[in-house]
Amino acid sequence: MAKLTIDDLKKIKEKVHKEMSLRDGKRRVKITVHMGTCGIASGAKEVMNTLLQEIEAAKVNDVVVTTSGCMGLCSREPLVTVEVLNQDPIKYEYMNPNKMRQVFKKHVLEGEIQTPFVLAKGSEIIK
Amino acid sequence: MKAEDTELLKEFSKEQVKKLNGIIEKFKGKPGGLIPVLEEAQVVLEYLPISVQKKIASGLNLPLSRVYGVVTFYSFFTMTPRGKHTVRVCLGTACYVRGGKAIYEQIKKQFGISEGETTPDRMFTLETVRCLGACGLGPVVVVDEDVHGRVKPGKIKEILSQYN
Amino acid sequence: MKVFRSHLLICGGTGCQASGSPAVKEALLEELEKRKLTEEIKVVETGCNGFCALGPIMVAYPEGVIYISLKATDMPELVEEHLIKGRIVKRLLYKEPGTEKAIPTMQEIPFFAHQELRVLRNRGLIDPEKIEEYIARDGYAGMAKALTEMTPEQIVKEMLDSGLRGRGGAGFPTGLKWKFAAQSKGDVKYVLCNADEGDPGAFMDRSVLEADPHAVLEGMVIAAKAIGSSQGYIYCRAEYPLAIHRLNIAIAQAKEAGLLGKNILGTGFDFDLEIYQGAGAFVCGEETALMTSIEGKRGMPRPRPPFPAVAGLWQKPSILNNVETLANVGQIILRGASWYASIGTEKSKGTKVFALTGDVNNVGLVEVPLGTKLGTIVYDIGGGIPGGKKFKAAQLGGPSGGCIPIQHLNAPVDYETVAELGAIMGSGGLIVMNEDKCAVDMARFFMDFCQDESCGKCTPCREGTKRMLEILTNITQGKGKEGDIELLEEMAVVIKNAALCGLGQTAPNPVLSTIRYFRKEYEEHIRDHKCRAAVCSAMFKSPCQHTCPIGMDIPSYIALIRAERFEDAYKILLQTNPFPSVCGRVCDHKCQSKCRRGNMDEAIAIKFLKRFITDNAVRPKVEAAPVTRKEKIAVIGAGPAGLTAARDLALRGYKVTVFEELPKAGGMLYWGIPSYRLPRNILDNEIDDIRKLGVEIKLKTRVGKDITFAKLQKDFNYIYLATGAHKSQKMGVEGENLKNVFGGVEFLRDFNANEGKWLKGEKTLGKKVAVIGGGNSAIDAARVATRLGADVTILYRRLRQDMPAAEEEIKAAEEEGIKIELLAAPLKIKGTKGKVSSITCQRMALGDFDNSGRKKPVPVEGSAFTLNVDAVIAAIGQSPDMSFIDKKAGIEINKWNCYNVGNVYKSCTNNPKFFAGGDAVTGPDTVIGAIAAGHQAADDIDSAIREANGERPYEKPESEKIDIPLIIDEETTETPQMAMPEMSASKRKKTFAEVELGFKKADAIKEACRCLRCDASI
Repeated sequence: MAKLTIDDLKKIKEKVHKEMSLRDGKRRVKITVHMGTCGIASGAKEVMNTLLQEIEAAKVNDVVVTTSGCMGLCSREPLVTVEVLNQDPIKYEYMNPNKMRQVFKKHVLEGEIQTPFVLAKGSEIIK
Repeated sequence: MKAEDTELLKEFSKEQVKKLNGIIEKFKGKPGGLIPVLEEAQVVLEYLPISVQKKIASGLNLPLSRVYGVVTFYSFFTMTPRGKHTVRVCLGTACYVRGGKAIYEQIKKQFGISEGETTPDRMFTLETVRCLGACGLGPVVVVDEDVHGRVKPGKIKEILSQYN
Repeated sequence: MKVFRSHLLICGGTGCQASGSPAVKEALLEELEKRKLTEEIKVVETGCNGFCALGPIMVAYPEGVIYISLKATDMPELVEEHLIKGRIVKRLLYKEPGTEKAIPTMQEIPFFAHQELRVLRNRGLIDPEKIEEYIARDGYAGMAKALTEMTPEQIVKEMLDSGLRGRGGAGFPTGLKWKFAAQSKGDVKYVLCNADEGDPGAFMDRSVLEADPHAVLEGMVIAAKAIGSSQGYIYCRAEYPLAIHRLNIAIAQAKEAGLLGKNILGTGFDFDLEIYQGAGAFVCGEETALMTSIEGKRGMPRPRPPFPAVAGLWQKPSILNNVETLANVGQIILRGASWYASIGTEKSKGTKVFALTGDVNNVGLVEVPLGTKLGTIVYDIGGGIPGGKKFKAAQLGGPSGGCIPIQHLNAPVDYETVAELGAIMGSGGLIVMNEDKCAVDMARFFMDFCQDESCGKCTPCREGTKRMLEILTNITQGKGKEGDIELLEEMAVVIKNAALCGLGQTAPNPVLSTIRYFRKEYEEHIRDHKCRAAVCSAMFKSPCQHTCPIGMDIPSYIALIRAERFEDAYKILLQTNPFPSVCGRVCDHKCQSKCRRGNMDEAIAIKFLKRFITDNAVRPKVEAAPVTRKEKIAVIGAGPAGLTAARDLALRGYKVTVFEELPKAGGMLYWGIPSYRLPRNILDNEIDDIRKLGVEIKLKTRVGKDITFAKLQKDFNYIYLATGAHKSQKMGVEGENLKNVFGGVEFLRDFNANEGKWLKGEKTLGKKVAVIGGGNSAIDAARVATRLGADVTILYRRLRQDMPAAEEEIKAAEEEGIKIELLAAPLKIKGTKGKVSSITCQRMALGDFDNSGRKKPVPVEGSAFTLNVDAVIAAIGQSPDMSFIDKKAGIEINKWNCYNVGNVYKSCTNNPKFFAGGDAVTGPDTVIGAIAAGHQAADDIDSAIREANGERPYEKPESEKIDIPLIIDEETTETPQMAMPEMSASKRKKTFAEVELGFKKADAIKEACRCLRCDASI
């Protein structure tokens, strides 16, 4: 990366906003695995690996997987957020590899939200 | 390899001693370099007996007493060889109130070792720690780098049987 | 082509394979083979169905039945039932998720709704390993502003105006710290970040470093500009490998992007930083010790002054800020001081992150405005205490802090209030403790921590903590002495004043704070060797026995059940309890709340096992006890307290006469508890045993009327007043005196006295009945009314979880069709022709917390509603009826209308001839409480007599030796408590026959095997 200037900061902001909003046509779903120490300790790594295997096996290329830190609700870890284009993000709690497979197949591929595993939809509001 | 390393070679491999020399070299002359040297040395050598401390003292040009003082002050450092796996039971408050003590007792009973000791087969070293910051999952047992959360006394055997 | 009558499709997808489908398939094939069905049934392995979490899955055609979560061991049953008998195996069936439950939004979840994210604003949203994502959320914009538009003075002023105080513990204003360092002369200055988060129970810094490391870096650059520094260090615990990993990535990325290092953002400002790994010493969280540690020495504190702002790391001016503090800085600079100061309290601005842990449902990190009520954090955000347990205290500030008990749930959490209450904000570890935590043990735990972590440099801390720990350890082991508490207090003051650094100065805080709020627990440990939380195990055999008010030997009788020695078990019961078959039915079983098995799965069904013994063993024969003593004793009231005392005294050789006003003995056991919970013959048998000892029970004899006080005093040497609490409290509403408005206990008493008339309909409540109250007598009255054919609604002013009645009773009432109207309180009762016709109630809303830790109901204006009812039963509480007392006896009655006791002996009234106990002293309490009071009174009366006669104290004769088998299982597998078989709700609401049917032998033995034998000492 070249050394940044203040203008660059603004440009990066705009560019990432575009990318994160899933609107450039190539990306339909963004899946965030929350990987803080607590998430990893309760099995987020296995969940992540399972997800990557499933994506590979399903040969889809419109799904982006990313990691993020702790959501704050450690007692419900592992947590995974699934955001389908133009829909509210859905947060799944107490995930494990099998639940991840099911969420991937039913929700990500077929659009059917797996309500028994859902914690909530939407995002936290930052005032 | 220098003559002063002969003592070290009784306990450690050539490879290890070479790495130790490298670490000392890296931090030589750097203010406050002692603790990072000890940290990295312990990663390579697993423990820091007097022979290693002597080597580090002379390498960093510090009195041995200073090195010994630091090694014994910080709980991270150990002067005795350790088991292949380190089992650390969290006895921080959150784990304590959620039954960490019972877990600790269970492991002590199962292996017949107490804190800081290593099983005769050098498989496990038992330690207690003060809060690993994984309070959300208490009680917590850490084996090497793996954090096991929501542990119950009945599950100890199962968890430790994964390590061999 | 071969035709099969059925196809079984087993899922062979990865998920099902992982959960064991190959083994299921193998077992299935084996079973088919065994049953010779291979020609008829075809097994096919299919691809994934998508129900991976329910795997292994099998679909059976032609029916298309889906079976889930199969195990190899299910196969014989499945083949037998489904394939041979053609019956569907219901327990393995896939259930369609019920009506699509609405998914809540994050704002509808209280855990998230009450939070105000500033420090944690990026949590869960950005990838911490991608600097672009941080930048996209205005990252480094505050730094850019500080570097290009602001002078150091302006930055310092902004920080001062924001009111931000150090989030590491002491709460020193951050701006002021920076101002001092900025004013210090020197070419080299350091900016240090304290990431040595050592307080047990605090993990917000770890989380910030892991989830948003750049926020800390940005804060450090701004600080550097403010004080004129070009070098910084982050001192991070080695125990946080992921945090260090992500910090390293963040630093590397920032350096590469020119956001750290030389000429940041092309502004000409230089700042570089390094991570320094701590090697595990709690004291290094102290600022001077941390600096000594970075210098490569033993991390010992040094005296201040000079303050670090003047001479810090390597004697250069330095500032040390905590992770959370620094993570606030970028936002403050970008959005301005007034934005930041817009929330919080007058002296504590902004938000604070708390690590909420311990006995709370939602464990995690919460960020709230300073000044948020403690109760809001624990109950609304934290979701309350798991397992229906009671909140005891919140420990704030770790080993340097203190606890805030239940009566302060309304306290706003800010620096000042927390300090006033004897805790400190600290780094924000908030550990919730329930009633199962011992205050003394907690203090010992923290003192042990401080003693262990004391660096040893100064004597007060090194020696003082050691001495205090010794005293605390002694107290928890039952070796405490009178004066220990005072000694602890004295030493605490000395250490606080004389220790060199923060660790020592604050080390006594947990002790002082627990003494302040839980002095009584310390005293109980020292004087009675009693740990009410059943934690200090050196003082008892098993937690259940220690918790039982009469110390029943629970592990022994459970072990005897396991050994099928039921008669011996019965003997054990009777050693301490004259009413075991009563307690086996209606005890509130405090023992079970402390059962250690409950930490694993569920508590042992101690109450049901006790009942099993009394139902299934022959009751040991009772012989009359010879009267060996000349003193005569009268007991007034034939309830559990009076009869227990009578039995004990008879066994000690006294002649005892019991006077009872009502026509049947048993007190509340007979007159208050309905027979579907406690059959009459069961109670009568136990009372008969007491008669057989030689105790005379004079029924229908009201003292003060049928026998005068004067005669009583003349005929008897000592009198035990066990008169209970048989008078319902008034609601204080209009219409309370109408016909068909009953008090709860009065109704039950009338019913029990005139059962025939009620059942025949000569007495009636009418069709619709309202019962007011949430306690056990409200539920009893409601269930009796239901059995009389009424349509019953219970009105209660708080929430269901606040109801004092036993949970199983509430559930049983609901099953019987009783409606419970919550948050409703009576306003007035209307009548026609002197009889009830309706009750008007108003809605309540929950306000602040009261001293019991429940939210106070407050009336909602204009919310009145009316129910048409034919009768009202008010069961809102009871008090003793003291109208029989002769004033001349001079017996003191207190403002709760109860006897005052404690004159020399625990149960002696101010008139030494009169002793008292049971509900008439405590107000309405439990059966077991009354039995304990009876034991106490017998002991006290006997002691008083012997003392007066100059005799030696009573020695209990050796009871029969019963050897207790010790079998402990090597392995315990999780199994829930054995359920009590019950009569179905539809059947039982028409009859007064006993609802609970009792354990079968095999069930009882199985349940007894679940006991962990905490009493065993090996």
